[in-house]
Amino acid sequence: MTTAATGLADRLRDLLGPDRVLEGDLARSLYSHDGSIVDGACGLVVLPETTEEVSACMRIAHAAGVEVTPRGSGTGLTGGAVPLGGGLVVSLARMRAMDEVDVANSCVWVQPGVLNLDVSTAVAHLGLHYAPDPSSQQACSIGGNVGTNAGGPHCLAYGVTVQHVMGVEMVRPDGEVVMLGGVAPDPPGYDLRGVVVGAEGTVGVVTRVLLRLTPLPPDVRTMLLDFTTVADASAVVQGVIAEGVIPAALEMMDRNMTLAVEEFVHAGLPTDAAALLLVEVDGTEAEVTTATAVVERVAREHGVRTVRVARDEDERALLWKARKTAFGAVARVKPSYYLHDCVVPRTKLVEIMEAIGEITEREGVMCLNVFHAGDGNLHPIIALDRSDPDETARAMRAGDQIVRACVAMGGTLSGEHGIGVEKREYMPLVFDHDDLEAQACVRRAFDPSGRMNPDKVLPTGTRCGEVGLADAQVPEGTWI
Amino acid sequence: MSTGWTPGVPAPERDDLNTCVQCGLCLPHCPTFRVTGLETSSPRGRIAAMRAVQAGDAPVQGDFTRFTDECLACRACEAACPSSVPYGRLIEAARVQVEANRPAAERAGRRLAIGGVMGHRRLTRLMGWGLAITQALRIDRLLPRRLRFAAPRVTFRGMRRPLAQSSGDGPTAMLLTGCVMDIAFRPVHQATLDALVRAGYRAVLPEGGGCCGALAAHAGERESARALARARIAEMEQADVIVADSAGCSAHMRTYGHLLADDPGWAARAAAVAAKVRDAVEIDAPPGRPVEGRIAVHDACHHLHAQGIGPEVRRTLRAAGATPVDLGDGGRCCGAGGIYNVLEPEMAATLGEQKARAIIATGAPVVAVANPGCAIQIANHLTALGSDVRVQHPLEIVD
Ligand SMILES: Cc1cc2nc3c(=O)[nH]c(=O)nc-3n(C[C@H](O)[C@H](O)[C@H](O)COP(=O)(O)OP(=O)(O)OC[C@H]3O[C@@H](n4cnc5c(N)ncnc54)[C@H](O)[C@@H]3O)c2cc1C
Ligand code: SF4
Ligand code: SF4
Repeated sequence: MTTAATGLADRLRDLLGPDRVLEGDLARSLYSHDGSIVDGACGLVVLPETTEEVSACMRIAHAAGVEVTPRGSGTGLTGGAVPLGGGLVVSLARMRAMDEVDVANSCVWVQPGVLNLDVSTAVAHLGLHYAPDPSSQQACSIGGNVGTNAGGPHCLAYGVTVQHVMGVEMVRPDGEVVMLGGVAPDPPGYDLRGVVVGAEGTVGVVTRVLLRLTPLPPDVRTMLLDFTTVADASAVVQGVIAEGVIPAALEMMDRNMTLAVEEFVHAGLPTDAAALLLVEVDGTEAEVTTATAVVERVAREHGVRTVRVARDEDERALLWKARKTAFGAVARVKPSYYLHDCVVPRTKLVEIMEAIGEITEREGVMCLNVFHAGDGNLHPIIALDRSDPDETARAMRAGDQIVRACVAMGGTLSGEHGIGVEKREYMPLVFDHDDLEAQACVRRAFDPSGRMNPDKVLPTGTRCGEVGLADAQVPEGTWI
Repeated sequence: MSTGWTPGVPAPERDDLNTCVQCGLCLPHCPTFRVTGLETSSPRGRIAAMRAVQAGDAPVQGDFTRFTDECLACRACEAACPSSVPYGRLIEAARVQVEANRPAAERAGRRLAIGGVMGHRRLTRLMGWGLAITQALRIDRLLPRRLRFAAPRVTFRGMRRPLAQSSGDGPTAMLLTGCVMDIAFRPVHQATLDALVRAGYRAVLPEGGGCCGALAAHAGERESARALARARIAEMEQADVIVADSAGCSAHMRTYGHLLADDPGWAARAAAVAAKVRDAVEIDAPPGRPVEGRIAVHDACHHLHAQGIGPEVRRTLRAAGATPVDLGDGGRCCGAGGIYNVLEPEMAATLGEQKARAIIATGAPVVAVANPGCAIQIANHLTALGSDVRVQHPLEIVD
């Protein structure tokens, strides 16, 4: 923490009391990580409970000139919630209140610390759910979802977070509370919600979110298809969508991943298959029957080995558990993982999977794949042991080549996890100088003093006009 | 590389620590994280703290001790973890380290409560009488709140009632008499013995009898735990089946093999005993009487998370004709956690009250609870909320 910040902890303690300000070395080190392998340095942690408290904390931080990083549940995979330069972490984990559901408009205001799955659970009795369902949905927060514009298996049909956020209340870096959007379909003025959603905490701290709720589909069918080649599975992904069927979800898992997951869930996954597809269709009973028939037909045309249709809700839950706990299951192979979530056009799936196979083989690292095949959003997970510097270096190199291969095939850097620290230096691969400068200017308009989650998203040295942004190099010793 | 662990005492193992990928999926399942929202009272945080000690970056003192003490050892995180981090093993070893580093004066007080009392049958019984007298005279109300919520309700009648064993020539099932169970839950023992008879066993009690060592092990008193385990093994190893009617005890006795693995004279005997352990709800006895209506089911952490037991309780109730009702709180820990409610009273009280409210919300007149610590905690919190829901062991309900 900088000398300018001396006394900062005292002022924050006066505001929040001793239990909601963490200053100890060990506590701070626990807040220097998220779900990624980024290692940061946290100076101080506060846990406000209301918008007013957030605003007061931000005013104090503004006066002291310290950097601020908002944190939800810390499940992010790009280091977004990790402070790099010893700044203040504002944890929203205690802001977990939900308002009454506005049934007429199918929406609800929630505080940012509310967990994604808790929203769906709380509104299920009204026949509603919150559609974006990141695989981490049991643990990740709505604030973090807004921060990263999170997606999930069901976003193929339903759209990602930004399509489900009708309004946000946000505290700006100087403590001012602003309200963007609302219940009205087209709120007057510029629609700035789109700036805040996906901003990864670089424009302010989101303190309340108005979520759109979606009716639960009357009927759902979940199928597991298994193939002897990745090419066949990819062809089915293409084929189903070409037939005009947009499944609610369309996920692929390769053999390495299947082996790791099956050991945890015991869902009877065929561990000798080269690729599995988890397909879910929903809608009215008639729609579901038609869509199921199309999926089955296309799958048979491409040599599917077995088609397993979940018989009941328990079996369906088990298949989804297999999918949604996949990342964690990697620890059965190695203690850490490094992954990108780049996107390629669906037509390039076979090509990119081959490229990933070649790259990881060349670098001698193990790669496990599980991803949103329907929208070409890859998750090549490279398993590694960070105590082995050589393997770590090879994993990083493989990751780097994978990103470049995706971009070369007309893809992009991130489908849902965001840029954070891990991917910011790749931004010039997809944006030219002018694009980056324009983005820096938007950010500056919200955060003139450049203290909101600096070192994130935009690459080192990006400027808005004459003013440098995020100029600091990643501090010495930071592990990314 | 030098670690911060105290040498010569068991410590969390590096390979076990390495299984955590920091994904955070366990966070919402952890009762202490749910209450505080603090990474420092979450499973991921506690594991990260152990890693920091492992790396030589933090001492086994101060904050580390606090984060470890606050854990309920309920192992909800372990059940939720996709990488199968052996959290129970990690926290137990971390606690041995914490005890080895705790200032002597502080330690004495904690020891008194655990190894000291629970290890000695005469002492526990004496404590039982003390409780019965104070409760009969209602002077227990004068006890500090935290002791009151942790104290079982004991009556003279229950204490004196002898247990009826059975003869016959079926396989022998020996019931662990235990510590807390033996002073406060005699009717549960009787119901279990009855169920064993219905299931065709010759139901017997050990000569002597006493604590299985779970409380000592959970509190990091490893040597007391090992001594108690040896005593129980010697007493019980002849039986065909070894039965415990407390979830905490059956879960712990199943780890005897691991606990004594490095003791050449005992390792094999310990493993053999561990393999014979059955929880009372696993014996699959026909019901003793029909039961109607709704019965709320509280899953003890040492059932659900440590042993995957849950369906058995519901099956037992259903077989008697009752309708088991799940609580709407996702099966969160009630906060009893061994003697946690004595050591961490505030957290325990918050969780206990939440649990009592979830039980009341089901509208059922009875709640099935298969662990003494939970039963005491839940009964006391129900009473505090003015509820008359009865707390009974599932086998007692169908006895
Ligand atoms: C096993 C696993 C599976 C995953 N699967 C998916 C998936 O399918 N799809 C997907 O999109 N992601 C996935 N993720 C990544 C992660 O869960 C998401 O990025 C999620 O949105 C992060 O939420 P969080 O609450 O943990 O946020 P954090 O990690 O705490 O923060 C994420 C970012 O948001 C910012 N932020 C947090 N709260 C606020 C706030 N209140 N105001 C402003 N900024 C804020 C932070 O500064 C940070 O930049 C997965 C992660 C894991 C570990
Ligand atoms: S304990 Fe398991 S669930 Fe929790 S963070 Fe570690 S790997 Fe993830
Ligand atoms: S054992 Fe229980 S209290 Fe301890 S970390 Fe795991 S879930 Fe939390």
